[in-house]
Amino acid sequence: MQGYISEDVASGIDEWCMPTPLGVFGVIGPFNFPWMIPLWSVPYAIATGNTVVVKPSSEVPNSQSFLCELAEEAGFPPGVWNMVHGGRTVVNGMLDHPDIQGITFVGSTPVGRDVIYRRCGETGKRVIAQCGAKNFMTIMPDCAIDNTIAAMMTSFFGNTGQRCLAAANAVIVGEDDKFYEEFVAKVVEKASQIKIGYGLDESVQMGPLRDKAKKQNVLNYIDIGLQEGAELVLDGRDFTLQGDLPDDCFVGPSIFTNVRPGSRLGSEEIFGPVMSIMRAKDLDEAIRITNENPFGNGHSIFTQSGKAARYFQYNVVSGNVGINIGITAPVAFFPFSGMKDSFFGVLHTQGKEAIRFFTESKVVIQRWF
Amino acid sequence: MTLHTASEGISFAREMEMATAKFYEELARRFPEHAETFGAYAAANKKYVSDVERAYYGVITDAIEGCYAFKGLEPDDYVIDVELGAEVDLAAAVAQAVANEEAMLRYYTDAAEQSSGTMHDVPRAFRAVARKRAQRISDLKAMAAR
Repeated sequence: MQGYISEDVASGIDEWCMPTPLGVFGVIGPFNFPWMIPLWSVPYAIATGNTVVVKPSSEVPNSQSFLCELAEEAGFPPGVWNMVHGGRTVVNGMLDHPDIQGITFVGSTPVGRDVIYRRCGETGKRVIAQCGAKNFMTIMPDCAIDNTIAAMMTSFFGNTGQRCLAAANAVIVGEDDKFYEEFVAKVVEKASQIKIGYGLDESVQMGPLRDKAKKQNVLNYIDIGLQEGAELVLDGRDFTLQGDLPDDCFVGPSIFTNVRPGSRLGSEEIFGPVMSIMRAKDLDEAIRITNENPFGNGHSIFTQSGKAARYFQYNVVSGNVGINIGITAPVAFFPFSGMKDSFFGVLHTQGKEAIRFFTESKVVIQRWF
Repeated sequence: MTLHTASEGISFAREMEMATAKFYEELARRFPEHAETFGAYAAANKKYVSDVERAYYGVITDAIEGCYAFKGLEPDDYVIDVELGAEVDLAAAVAQAVANEEAMLRYYTDAAEQSSGTMHDVPRAFRAVARKRAQRISDLKAMAAR
């Protein structure tokens, strides 16, 4: 269980640390990756000897229900991998339950901070609350332009922007107007070619938003951006839908330029396919703009300069940092980190941190007479 | 229809592999003296499909980055002909096989080059199949020369 040992800490005395399970953990999942995200926690919790109660998103519970059935079929003992369905009442029950030792949560910042994190503190539970984001992508003038734009398309518009690692703001560095204008024109051209339609059609590049309310939220932010004086250079309200489908939940990619970092458009999480473009005179200004935002989930830089990338990695305040990577998702043996308003807790899901989160350290000091 | 997404590209590769697998199975039936070779080609085609699919499902999904895998691959650039004439002889059949293999080699090479922005497992899988195709073309040409 990834413990550690020191022999002869004193003459004839050995000492070792044995991580031991704590009991029951609650896992509260979001709607956007209903299958994957609970798996940031459940395997670690169970492998370290605990049991879990998974509460999937009430909007999309089927995949977790199926997974739970597979676990049962695979021979997990009854009571190890449990599931409850519901909304706020069920979550409150989990937060208050004295037998639940800790909670992992992925969702919005208001719920994560004001409900999950706070209540876990009050009830003495361990907590990992992975929350909202407003990810900034710093574009240096020496970036590999075509690769950068391809990464931008998938980061801003993949999953219709409904993920906590989606880029939201592009900060283009430098005072070279020609570079800026040509770069933005290419980004707009590429985004305008995105095919929108049924998500399981292989040729489709962007599917619908979750529901009508989410679409309305995106439309509201487009209005807010216009009211704040940003320039809408690609209007996602005007799009071509592939196939004979109702357009209730669909919206095209939108791109704003001249976005002020402190504006609502430039600072709040939209969770939709909206790109806000800003300019910074140099890398320091880009980092300052990025760090002034309250979120710190997955900021990235696109450059061919190792010096700039190194400077960025040390100075940007972000749990996950991308260098020529648009979606800064760590593999399973590294923690899925997060800082500032994007994360509440101490240890993170995945990797060694997850092992520590789901266990208590028991230290054995041994001497033989 | 231009291919942009990784799943489109993989589906296209699967179609070509499965069609040529049937083609080789037919060659194995018609030319029993080369049945072992052609049968092995058919089996290998199916393995190539699973190799590419494994790389795709293992490291990316269309939700993460596969939607923009290719700048644009045109299926018309990689046309194969798997219809065998009733009276075709071995030399003509092998020539047809070589032409198909060359089209598929071009496809995998282009797919590898265009998908270099995705996780490296994907272009590496395409390149691995391309290398095996190149060897197969060489072997087929040697067969024709015998």
